[in-house]
Amino acid sequence: MRLPPPDPQPDLRVEIGRNAKLPLTLRNPVMVASGTFGYGTEYARLIDVQRLGAIVSKGITLHPRRGNRGPRVVETPAGMLNAIGLQNVGIHKLVSDKAPVWAQWDVPVIVNIAGDSIEEFAYMADQLEGVPGISGIELNISCPNVWEGGRVVAEDAETTAAITEAVRLRTGLPLLVKISPQVADIVSVARAAEDGGADAVSLINTFVGMRIDTRTARPVLANVTGGLSGPAIFPLTLWLVYLVSQHVGVPVVGVGGVASLNDALELMLAGASAVQVGTATFVDPGTSLRILDGLREAIRSRGCASVGDLTGLAHPSRRAARAAR
Amino acid sequence: MDLFSARVVDNEEIMPSTHVLTLEAARAARSASPGQFLHIRCGDGLSPLIRRPMSIFRTDGTLLQVMIRNVGEGSSWIVRRQAGDMLDCLGPLGRGFRVSPQARNLLLVGGGYGVAPLVGLAERALARRANVSLAVGAAASELIFPASLIPEEVEYLVATDDGSAGYRGFVTDLIPERLVWADAVYACGPLAMMAALARIMRDLAPRKPAQVAMEERMGCAMGVCLGCCIESTRGPLRVCTEGPVFDIRQIVWREEAAAIGTRGPGVGGHG
Repeated sequence: MRLPPPDPQPDLRVEIGRNAKLPLTLRNPVMVASGTFGYGTEYARLIDVQRLGAIVSKGITLHPRRGNRGPRVVETPAGMLNAIGLQNVGIHKLVSDKAPVWAQWDVPVIVNIAGDSIEEFAYMADQLEGVPGISGIELNISCPNVWEGGRVVAEDAETTAAITEAVRLRTGLPLLVKISPQVADIVSVARAAEDGGADAVSLINTFVGMRIDTRTARPVLANVTGGLSGPAIFPLTLWLVYLVSQHVGVPVVGVGGVASLNDALELMLAGASAVQVGTATFVDPGTSLRILDGLREAIRSRGCASVGDLTGLAHPSRRAARAAR
Repeated sequence: MDLFSARVVDNEEIMPSTHVLTLEAARAARSASPGQFLHIRCGDGLSPLIRRPMSIFRTDGTLLQVMIRNVGEGSSWIVRRQAGDMLDCLGPLGRGFRVSPQARNLLLVGGGYGVAPLVGLAERALARRANVSLAVGAAASELIFPASLIPEEVEYLVATDDGSAGYRGFVTDLIPERLVWADAVYACGPLAMMAALARIMRDLAPRKPAQVAMEERMGCAMGVCLGCCIESTRGPLRVCTEGPVFDIRQIVWREEAAAIGTRGPGVGGHG
């Protein structure tokens, strides 16, 4: 008697930048979010970072930045506010000191860059071109903590398109554009990124918020406002991923409040091709790898062959198709 | 440094709203040094979300003690743990006090709950036959760290704002006359106290080794989120990684330090 063949391992690979000069195939869709994983080395003492789909490095600027005064973080119900102010080593030190470490790694590292003009974004992309150890670029056009009053760099479609196009001209690396949730029309901003040549959109950056110390009647954060992250924002992330993914053709990377396997599955059903785990890593450094392990099992138990089969299953069009069967 | 689950073997309220939790944590207890901290999860749900950094109080064999001041949602969950409960811990983290083997006379300065990391430091120093003087300040006598928990060989000096125990006034008033004796000074307490100590050291003993354990609200405690950075003469430094113990002359003591800075023990947090 012949035994049935063993269950094939589900295909977890995700392709980003199909049309880029240097497409990137992630081994799995579980990434860690910019600003929550440093330069990748810090958590390597605790978890096997090489198993991750990708690491997105701390947002980098052209020149080193000292960041904001403290307090820079404060807890909120099921979340936290941060106002770090993009403290970082600057792009030249990233290229000279960090990239050589990444070049030895299996896990791809995507560099999150934050410019303060179109020219600066383009110049930074130039600096990363051809550097071993750098597998992609995520454009941070949405950090709420460096502009007065919590404003973000690109709040409209025109600026988003202009920045994305300028960077696209300079780089063959897969290009992700990370979008703020606090824009007037997020669909048009995401489409502008796609039209500008983005290979994927990362949805979403943090929401601007604040807290006040009732004893001193002062804002807790020295910066007054900070970006809200953590499980508290997950339903907002989910909705925006669901919305935007029905209007763009490039992969959507879901980020914002992911803390469990169930969150990751919801995001994929809502239209995400990959997820990024952020604040949850602070709470439990093993979160991302546990999601990865659970995802493999969840895909198999649904009878799916690949992780892509989950993407967008909750969309109205897909629901209607299933109902018709 | 590890992520580990530690069994609570004892929980004692040593002062009003201040508990010492004794944990069975062999690896951490063996590797910890005074001034380091544990980042402790407060429950297994999503709120409170962020771990709380708690100063390591003492270690003894396989046991490790943390001192917890009940100041908010997270710490109140921790102080409700009883013997047999498990605590999710990350640590030991940070850089502790660095004591030169040549230092014979150690002057320790604690404000309020800032005594926490100094007791372990005193014990280590006594074990290598150094002399230890511990000066402690608090608002009133009931907030003074119990003398019964301090080794007998330590000279214990007390100052209270209201004069209800020991010297009436600030603990830093006790420091100048002991600086000739002291080979090194180690401090932990409210920002205003440490800023005052920094001025004393600058004026009276500019070359004497002096270290302070700082506190700031933390996110990851792993050096990635940069939430706990403080201003130093070398730019921003992470309390969780380059600290919590710093050379007192490295810190930029802000003018308003005197106005704020009554937050709790050790490395501090969200309460």
